[in-house]
Amino acid sequence: MANKPLPDDYYQRLEEIQKIDFTLVELNLYLDTHPQDLEAIKQYNTFTKKAKELRQMFEERYGPMIHFGHSYSTHPWAWIESPWPWQV
Amino acid sequence: MDTSFRKSFEPFISRFDPCKPIPVKYYETPPQLYLGFQPEGLEQFSPAEALKHGTLWPALYAPYSNPYRHDGK
Repeated sequence: MANKPLPDDYYQRLEEIQKIDFTLVELNLYLDTHPQDLEAIKQYNTFTKKAKELRQMFEERYGPMIHFGHSYSTHPWAWIESPWPWQV
Repeated sequence: MDTSFRKSFEPFISRFDPCKPIPVKYYETPPQLYLGFQPEGLEQFSPAEALKHGTLWPALYAPYSNPYRHDGK
């Protein structure tokens, strides 16, 4: 895993996650000022569920995405394996 | 490039100005100034487009192009 180039699938999945996460950021900010908007809340929950699934599938293949308890780790401790998030 | 948010004014140019005068100056008035409290159910980009455009809402999409460069980049 150290310095093997990453498969395309890694980047495709990452981009899918980025799309959903960005939309979630926007919806979150919108909902901060529109707490009554039921449609937006439904959409937010659907996207959150999708984001969790995507992240889980990604982590099964490529290891933890976010540390400090946001992702599981295999043995040995996977977080220190490259690439680091900023190296991807 | 949608520049309908761009406004301009002509500053006074004095004969004693040390630098080359800028005849017209521009300023941006992005859509959120006109939108006020965002209504519910506003049209949305798809997640892919939203990531590209940097906003989920087409009504708030206002890309900047430099008016002072002739090619407008």
